[in-house]
Amino acid sequence: MNEMTDGHIVSSYNKDLNHLHQLVIQIKDLACRQVREAARSLEDEDVELARAVIVSDREIDALDIKADEEIIRLIAKRQPVARDLREIMTVAKIVGDLERIGDQARRLARLTIRFYDGDVIPPNRHLLDDLNKMADFVNRMVEDSVNAFDDLDLNRAMDVIRRDSIVSDDFRSALRRLSTFIMEDSRSVGHMVDVVLGLRALERIGGHAKNISRYVVFLVKGKDVRHKDLDAVEAEIISTLK
Amino acid sequence: MNKPAVEQMRTIDRVNATLKQRYNRECRFRRFGLGAVLLGLLFVGLMFLNIIGNGYSAFQQTRILLEIDYRAEVIDPTGARDPATLSSADYAALVKSSLRALFPAVQGRGEKRELYGMLSSGAFLELRRRVMADPGLIGTREQLWLPVDDDIDMLVKGYIDRRLPESERRLDNRVVAWVEQLESTGAIEKQFNLTFLTGGDSREPELAGIGGAVMGSLYTLIVTLLLSFPIGVAAAVYLEEFAPRNRWTDLVEVNINNLAAVPSIVFGLLGLAVFINFFGLPRSAPLVGGMVLTLMTLPTIIIASRAALKSVPPSIREAALGVGASRMQTVFHHVLPLAMPGMLTGTIIGMAQALGETAPLLMIGMVAFIVDIPGGALDPSTVLPVQIFLWADSPERAFMEKTSAAIMVLLGFLILMNVIAVILRKRFERRW
Amino acid sequence: MLSVTPDSMGTVTAPAGVIAAGFSPVADDSRAINGTVGDITAIDPRMTARHVNVYYGDKLAINNVSLDIGKNEVIAMIGPSGCGKSTFLRCLNRMNDTIDICRVEGEIRLDDQDIYDSGLDVVPLRAQVGMVFQKPNPFPKSIYDNVAYGPRIHGLTGSKSELDEIVEQSLLKAGLWDEVKDRLDEVGTGLSGGQQQRLCIARTIAVAPEVILMDEPCSALDPIATARVEELIDELREQYTIAIVTHSMQQAARVSQRTAYFHLGELVEVGKTDDIFTNPRHRLTEDYITGRFG
Repeated sequence: MNEMTDGHIVSSYNKDLNHLHQLVIQIKDLACRQVREAARSLEDEDVELARAVIVSDREIDALDIKADEEIIRLIAKRQPVARDLREIMTVAKIVGDLERIGDQARRLARLTIRFYDGDVIPPNRHLLDDLNKMADFVNRMVEDSVNAFDDLDLNRAMDVIRRDSIVSDDFRSALRRLSTFIMEDSRSVGHMVDVVLGLRALERIGGHAKNISRYVVFLVKGKDVRHKDLDAVEAEIISTLK
Repeated sequence: MNKPAVEQMRTIDRVNATLKQRYNRECRFRRFGLGAVLLGLLFVGLMFLNIIGNGYSAFQQTRILLEIDYRAEVIDPTGARDPATLSSADYAALVKSSLRALFPAVQGRGEKRELYGMLSSGAFLELRRRVMADPGLIGTREQLWLPVDDDIDMLVKGYIDRRLPESERRLDNRVVAWVEQLESTGAIEKQFNLTFLTGGDSREPELAGIGGAVMGSLYTLIVTLLLSFPIGVAAAVYLEEFAPRNRWTDLVEVNINNLAAVPSIVFGLLGLAVFINFFGLPRSAPLVGGMVLTLMTLPTIIIASRAALKSVPPSIREAALGVGASRMQTVFHHVLPLAMPGMLTGTIIGMAQALGETAPLLMIGMVAFIVDIPGGALDPSTVLPVQIFLWADSPERAFMEKTSAAIMVLLGFLILMNVIAVILRKRFERRW
Repeated sequence: MLSVTPDSMGTVTAPAGVIAAGFSPVADDSRAINGTVGDITAIDPRMTARHVNVYYGDKLAINNVSLDIGKNEVIAMIGPSGCGKSTFLRCLNRMNDTIDICRVEGEIRLDDQDIYDSGLDVVPLRAQVGMVFQKPNPFPKSIYDNVAYGPRIHGLTGSKSELDEIVEQSLLKAGLWDEVKDRLDEVGTGLSGGQQQRLCIARTIAVAPEVILMDEPCSALDPIATARVEELIDELREQYTIAIVTHSMQQAARVSQRTAYFHLGELVEVGKTDDIFTNPRHRLTEDYITGRFG
C-alpha cells in the first residue's frame, strides 16, 4: 500500500487498487523465483527443478491474465484519471514485462534440460560462470525495480536504470570470453550457442527491469522517460528530488 | 458482549410492540381534527340558517289590490298636463277614496285613519310615478297593487300572532278583521319585493331598499380598486424587485406588516383628518370612503403581491437577465405575468375585506341616513354593511327581516367576488 | 511560487497552507501568477480576468483569480462545492450584480472593454456574454417565443421573416429543430429536460453572443441528454467561446480544451485538459480529480 493507491473517498477503490498492486508484487516474487531457480537448476544440474520452473511459468501467465482482467474492470468501473490512471497503466506494463521475464526464465530452464538430460556431454563448468553471475545480478535488478515501484523510490529506479548498462557491458565481455573458449576448443560450439542464448535471455531480463524502472519514473513524474537517454532521465528525477 | 436484554430483541418486534399505540394516537388526532372542522361547519350552517330564515321574507312584500280612479279634477284641474301640477297633486286622496270604496262600512275619523294607515304612507308615490310617466292615465281607472304598512305586512307574513289578546298586539281587532276580509277576497297578497333591491333607504320599512347602499358600495369599491391595485402592485414590485436591501427598506417592510394589523377605525380617523378636514373632500362620499379603504387594503394587497412575486422561481429572472433583458423587462415580461394570479387573489381578498368594512366609514360620515340613490362617487351615500348596521339599530319589527336580507345580499356579493377571483386565476394560469 | 499573498492570508487561511504543500511543484513555470500552477493565458484571449476578488459581504469568496478565456475554446472550471467556480463564472457577465452583498474587485475584460467599468451597461454585455443555467429554465411561453425573446428585446430583427430565420437557425444549431419544428407554438416547459436545456442554449445563441457561460448545464439531465448537450457544446466551439462549470470531471475531460481547478476561492491550477487529467501538477488538483477528498 502506498500513496498511489490510498486515500480515495471510496474505500473499495483503494481496495481494488491495492489488490492490483499486490498482484504485481506477487508476480514479481514469482518471476524472481523462476529466474533464481532456473539459474540454480543450471548450477546444480537439477533437471527436475528445471522442469518445475517450466511448469510454474503457467502460474505467471495465469496471474498476468488475472491482472489484465482486473485492470479492464477498474478502467470500466472507475474511469481512473491522473495518478490512478498512471498507476493502472504502469501496472499493466510492469505485468507485461514481468511475464516476459518469466518467459526468459523458462528459456534458461530449458538450457538445464538440454545440457543435463539425456546423452549429451555436459558443458564445461567454466562456460556457465557468466550465466550464474549475471542471473544473480539481473534478479536483483528486477527485485529493485519492483520495489522501487512499491515504494515510489525514484533513486532506486534510477539505480536500476544505471545498472542496465553494466548488464550490457557484462554481456559483451561474456561474449568475448566465450569467443576465446571457442578458439581453444571448437567442439564446444554447440553448447556455446546455447550459453549465448542463455546470456541473451538474462540480458533481456535486465532490459525488462530497466523498463519497469522507467515506468516508475512515469508513474511518479507523469513524464514518459522511455526512449530517452540516461542523462535526460536523471535530470528529470533530480528536478523532483531537489 | 453483555448487552442488555432489550437490545437483543429484533427491531421489528420492538416496532410492533408500540405500533398499536401509535396508530391509536394517530386515529385520535385525526378524529379531533375532523371534529373541529365539523364544529366550524355547524356554526357556519347555523349562521346561514338563521340569516336566511330571518331574511328570506324580506324579498316579498304584501300588497293590496285597489281600483284607482285617476280623477282629472284631483290630479290636473286645469288640464294643462303641467309636470309641476302633476307632481304636486293630491294622489293620497285618490288612494284614500279607493280604500273607502273597498270598505264602505267604515265610518268616523278614527276608524278612517286606521283604514288609511293600512296602506304604506308612500303608496301614493306609486300613483304619482305612473301618472308622471304616462299622463294619458288621467281620467281612466286601473287595478293597482299597492304596498301595505309594515305592521300589516308583518301580520300577513305571520310575525304578528293573530291569536294574541288585542292589548298585546300592535294591531287592533278591527284591522285584523279587515285584513282577513281582504284575504278572503284575494285582494291582499305577498308579491316579489322589487323595492327592496332597487329602492333607497326610508324610515318606512316597506319602502326601504338596499339599492342606495349597493350603489354606494359599488362606487366605493371602484374607487378602492382603482387606487389600491395599481399602488399595491407597484409598491410590491418596487420593494421586491428593485429596492436595495437595507435598513430603510426593512423599516418600510416592517411598517407594511404592522399596517395590516392596525384597527380599521384608525384609518377612518385618518381619512377624517386628512381627506375631509385637510383636503376638504365631501363628507359621506364614496370617493373618500374608497380612499380610506384603499389605505386599509393596501397592506393586504402589498403583502399578497410580494408573496406572489417571491414565489416566482428565480431561475426565470436569471433566464431573462441572462439573455440581456433589463431589470424592468424581466419584471414586466416574465415575473409579473407569473405573479399576476397571486396578486389578483390578494386584491380580491382585499376588496372583499373592504366590502365588509364598517368602522372606518362611520368616521367619515357614510353612516348618514340617505334616501337618494347616489349617482356618482361624490354623492353622499352609504354602503351595505353600514346599511345593515343602521337597520339593525331600528326598532321596527320589519327592519329585522330587512337586516337579514341585506346580510344575505352582502354575503352573496362576497361569494360572487371569490368566484370571480377563482375564475380569473384559472384563466390567467391557463394562458401560460 | 505557490505562496499566497500576505493580505489574503487573514481571510482564507485554509488554502494558503494546503496549496503551499503542493504535490509536485514545477519550477519552470514563468507564466504562473498568484499561486496558480500552470499557464493562465490563452493564445487568443477573448476574456481576461486579472486579480479578481469577490466578496459576499465580508466573506472573501474568490481570492485573486487571474484567467484567460480563449477564442473558440471550451474552458472547464471544476472544483468542490463552494470553491467559487460558479461565482467566478457569474462575474463574467455580471450576473452577480443581482446579489446585493456581492462585491467584485480586480479587472475583467471582454476583448478590450473592462466589463466592470462604471459606465458600462450590463444589458449589451449580457447580449455579448450569454448564459445557460444549471436547471433548464425556459420561459413559460411557446418554444418560438423562448428563442425569439432575446432578438426581440434587443431589436435584432426588422421583420417577422427575419425573426423566423433566427429562431430556425438557433434551434438548428442547438440540435433541436427536427424535434420541435412542428410544434413551435407549444410551451417550452412541456419539453423533456434535455430538450429544455437545448432550448435554453438555442435561446442564448439566438442573441448571437460572443461568449457562452454554462453553469453546470447537464446536472439535471440523464446521460443520453447529457451526451447530446456535450456534442452540442463541441459543435458550438467553432463559433463561440465557451466557459463551462461542471461537477462532472468526466464531462470536463470530454468537452473542454483547458481546465481550471478552483479550491476554496482560489484558482489552484490551469492547464490543457489533456495534461490536467493525466498529470496534474498540483496535489490538490490531483486529489480532487482522483476522488481523494470532498
